[in-house]
Amino acid sequence: MSLELRGISVTLGHGDARVTVLDGLDATFAAGTATALVGPSGSGKSTLLAVAGALLRPDAGQVLLDGADLAALSERDRARARRERIGYMFQSGNLLGGLVVVDQLLAAASIAGRSHRQLRPRAEELLTELGLGHRLRHRADQLSGGERQRVALGRALLLEPALLLVDEPTAAVDRTQARALTELIVGTTAGRGCVTVIATHDPAVLAVADSAFDMAPSPPERLSA
Amino acid sequence: MHLALLELKAARGRFLLMGAVVVLVAALVGIVSGFTTGLGDDTVSALRRLSATDLAFSPDVKTDQFARSLVGADTLAAWQRQPGVRATGLGVALTRGTTERGVEVDLAAFGVDPAVFLSPGVERGARLAEDGQVVVSGKLADQGVRIGDTLTVDRIGVRLTVVGVTGSSAYGHVPVAYVTPATWQRIRFAVPGAQQATAELPYQYSAVAIQAVPGTDLAAVDRRLGTRTVPLADAFAAAPGYSGEKVTMTSIQTFLYLIAPLVVGAFFGIWTVQRQPELALLRALGASRRRLLGHTLAQASAVVVGGTLVGAALAGAVGLLLGAQVPFSLPAPTLAATMATVALAGLAGAALTLRRVATADPTTMLGAGR
Ligand SMILES: Nc1ncnc2c1ncn2[C@@H]1O[C@H](COP(=O)(O)OP(=O)(O)OP(=O)(O)O)[C@@H](O)[C@H]1O
Ligand SMILES: [Mg+2]
Repeated sequence: MSLELRGISVTLGHGDARVTVLDGLDATFAAGTATALVGPSGSGKSTLLAVAGALLRPDAGQVLLDGADLAALSERDRARARRERIGYMFQSGNLLGGLVVVDQLLAAASIAGRSHRQLRPRAEELLTELGLGHRLRHRADQLSGGERQRVALGRALLLEPALLLVDEPTAAVDRTQARALTELIVGTTAGRGCVTVIATHDPAVLAVADSAFDMAPSPPERLSA
Repeated sequence: MHLALLELKAARGRFLLMGAVVVLVAALVGIVSGFTTGLGDDTVSALRRLSATDLAFSPDVKTDQFARSLVGADTLAAWQRQPGVRATGLGVALTRGTTERGVEVDLAAFGVDPAVFLSPGVERGARLAEDGQVVVSGKLADQGVRIGDTLTVDRIGVRLTVVGVTGSSAYGHVPVAYVTPATWQRIRFAVPGAQQATAELPYQYSAVAIQAVPGTDLAAVDRRLGTRTVPLADAFAAAPGYSGEKVTMTSIQTFLYLIAPLVVGAFFGIWTVQRQPELALLRALGASRRRLLGHTLAQASAVVVGGTLVGAALAGAVGLLLGAQVPFSLPAPTLAATMATVALAGLAGAALTLRRVATADPTTMLGAGR
């Protein structure tokens, strides 16, 4: 299992706001490895995750997940890939208003057509691992920023995705928690053998991740560990 | 459906509020419908009961025929000679009466020949048989007119013996009392204050009630006999207040049917706009358009159908509470039909917002500004 990006180009916006964010980017991410995606703000980290996550169709290039090109799929099939094979933690706005924590996870199960009853124990276990065992019945608006990110991570992990995409997981947590959270992601990645990409500015993430990919140089390059 | 339920639960305050609005609209439609039917019955139930297909009036009157039309005995006799037609005289007159026990009542005196097809059946007592007898509608019995009572028509002094009670029968919101044509003519044509009827009462009727074999050319008969024949149902408009009430109630109902989809549509419209970020998130997580549309429809159905059912129960309860004191009638088929219309109107309103649900854009999740 691997994720391979070939010649990805993305242009966003119209008219004066038109920006070429990714320009013929090539990158390969191996299964069982968590890669930290680094680079200055605006360098295209979130955009790269969106392309890899079948959320944004690139203007050119291929997104090969286990050899199959996500960029070539119809919109309907990309949605299916998102719900069945990809776990995504967005940079913000991850949670559904009014739903309690455990239901945030089970909503993803629902979307994927899986049994929420069967997955409930797993969801609770996962949330406990994420240090949210005492928050299962809290609503999203009753959580701190860091707690919300952890709920979102739990949701991304619930269905054991082949591809785990995490955008700025540690932006709202303290150093200890940042390290613990990253270790959890990296450990899960190794345990499950999924492909994991973490967009981050955080040196703590960089320190724990298996490898790093830098968006700053042109072309972007893999940093040696 | 699990997710749809979760969302319903999460926004239960709003959905309850919306449900309450649907309940009230549905109940109002039900109540208005009950009064429409009830008032209609109270105005024309006596006419509806007539086992006639058509009524022939004098040709010169176009409105208020029952009060203003007069048809002579010779015209009636000529109608009775027409092939394919059975005809009998019908008299209608509004008056008042008092029983010997001092019960005062308004009544609509219907003059009908007891031997032919207009003769009313009775629920209690004896059928109308001869002059000087009266069979009263159940409503008059409720007001205290009993079998065996003598009912004296005010001012004219015509004395009537109550022999029977028939079912509910009203004309222009006034309960009906059935008398023979001769008695009716005494009531209609007597000079107020005269103790004895004048010797020569005109042998006239308000109309000729007709039972026609389908296909009979009544217009041709009209031309020959100088009458104006209308189908029984069209004659309802001649009853006092019928057209005005019908227009009023129907327009209230029509407006409610228009309001229902607008209110429901506005609610779901606002809700969908507010929910755009969440719809985008659900799409980003891989929810199909079909699933989101299905959820929205399920939620709308729950609110609209649930609200309508409660509203129907409320309207039914109002009907039961009002009882027989007011003209309110809401038979189950009518209730079911009006409630189905409210529900459909509401769902149509919700359907207006589906486009926005389908077009929620998952890439908005990329904007870090959320
Ligand atoms: N809809 C858009 N229209 C035009 N430009 C856009 C649009 N969305 C993003 N951009 C631009 O694309 C570039 C890359 O954005 P992206 O969100 O991928 O950066 P990032 O590396 O994740 O930054 P950060 O570290 O701040 O999250 C930015 O310069 C941004 O201004
Ligand atoms: Mg970003």
